Amino acid sequence: MIEAKAVNFAYHRGEPVINDITCKIEDGEFVALLGHNGSGKTTLSRLFMALVHPRSGDIFVDGDNIEKLEPADLAHQVGYVFQNPDLQILEDTVFAEVAYGPRCKKLSETAIKEQVQAALQAMGLENLADAYPRTLSFGQKRRLGVAAALALNPRTLILDEITNGQDEQEKDNMMDYLQKLNKEKRITIILITHDMNIARQYAKRAIVLNDGNLVFDGTTQDLYNGVRDLKEWGLTQPIMAILSAAFIISAPTVEDFCEKLCLKEGGER
Amino acid sequence: MKITAFTQLITVLAVTTWVFLLPVPAVAIILVLELALLLYIKHDRLTMAAIGALTVFTGMMILLQLIFGSPLSVSLTGGLRMFVMTTAFLCLLAATKIQDIAQALVEKFHLPCEYAFMLTTALRFVPDFLTDSATTLDAQSCRGYSNRGNVFKRFYSYLAVVKPLVMRAVAKSDTLALSMELKGFGANTYQNMTPQRLCFADYLVLFLVMLLSLYPLWSKYI
Repeated sequence: MIEAKAVNFAYHRGEPVINDITCKIEDGEFVALLGHNGSGKTTLSRLFMALVHPRSGDIFVDGDNIEKLEPADLAHQVGYVFQNPDLQILEDTVFAEVAYGPRCKKLSETAIKEQVQAALQAMGLENLADAYPRTLSFGQKRRLGVAAALALNPRTLILDEITNGQDEQEKDNMMDYLQKLNKEKRITIILITHDMNIARQYAKRAIVLNDGNLVFDGTTQDLYNGVRDLKEWGLTQPIMAILSAAFIISAPTVEDFCEKLCLKEGGER
Repeated sequence: MKITAFTQLITVLAVTTWVFLLPVPAVAIILVLELALLLYIKHDRLTMAAIGALTVFTGMMILLQLIFGSPLSVSLTGGLRMFVMTTAFLCLLAATKIQDIAQALVEKFHLPCEYAFMLTTALRFVPDFLTDSATTLDAQSCRGYSNRGNVFKRFYSYLAVVKPLVMRAVAKSDTLALSMELKGFGANTYQNMTPQRLCFADYLVLFLVMLLSLYPLWSKYI
């Protein structure tokens, strides 16, 4: 569980980038953290990970105030995956890369092997354990970043623009893996994204920031109702939400929409 | 009063010579003037951090000399000289665009443009390298890397993150070289630099530099 209470933050005595934000993310939730560029999404996620500390207010992880903690202290509770996978890759094999975190925690070799294999399996990389990470495709590197975070068995994963720059197939693969982690292992997923379609399809809850202020905290169904004007927050309604509202059909994907539309019209696919 | 990059380079080179020619009190005055100038040009957090780091490094250098048996006066003079020389370069970098420095090196000093570009590219990418370094350290911190502990432990831990940084720097330089070639670098068929002409302020500064540089000659008569 991650909780922010009246958090304020600014970089180096500059303009405030987080203004009095209070929110609570419970265990097992799938939350989309949304907002325009510069709205404070990444900063808020960095506050959750103790990469930076608030100027005022408190952040709690599993009930403990993280004011005095470093990211390394939270690594076994909260995993963070950065946007650029190349900046995170250290080792010469996929296995060693994923094992880096457990080794930092000085786990036994048996425990390291178990946790690494579980993480690789969870992200579909078990056949690439001996591969040189830099030869992986971009999507595979992204999944490697997630596996590396998972190896420490965190209860929460924060993912910064995890589907950016990927083709549709890889996006779907990644999101399916994350959904599986959320549903089967009850791992809390906090997804920072600009992709409204993905947020609508996978996340149950949306937190929207606008210029450092929390402007929406509710269900994605409520946010993406097809009629709410999101332009003032720098967002747009996903096309499927607009179509669903127009045709009064609840459908997360294009395929669902077509199927339901055909059924509604009494036709066949 | 804006002086050209050429004059600034000459002044910096002259300062590095003066620290060996002028008496210590004069070098100390130059240091005070340099620090005042640097803070006037750029008084941000980064500049203060640079001055702080330089002070610490100078202190370490003085300490090392003392440990190896140098007299205190010699160690202090050596430290002061190093401080003055480095601060002069900091002033140059704070006051001058890197492109202007490169142009002065090519136009006035007749350095081959490839070498001038090498210098400016290295300077240009230091901030990028530092940003990448910070992001890499953040990413590894999120996986349990900690820089707590004694100096050796922290150094050993840091070695693990140096490798990806170096590889990334090599990859970046490869991409940069390719993009430059695609834009015609090295073809020597087109020159788009506006010549830097010296003005009154430049000549005045150069005259003062020359005067001070001749100190060993005219100091005999004062």
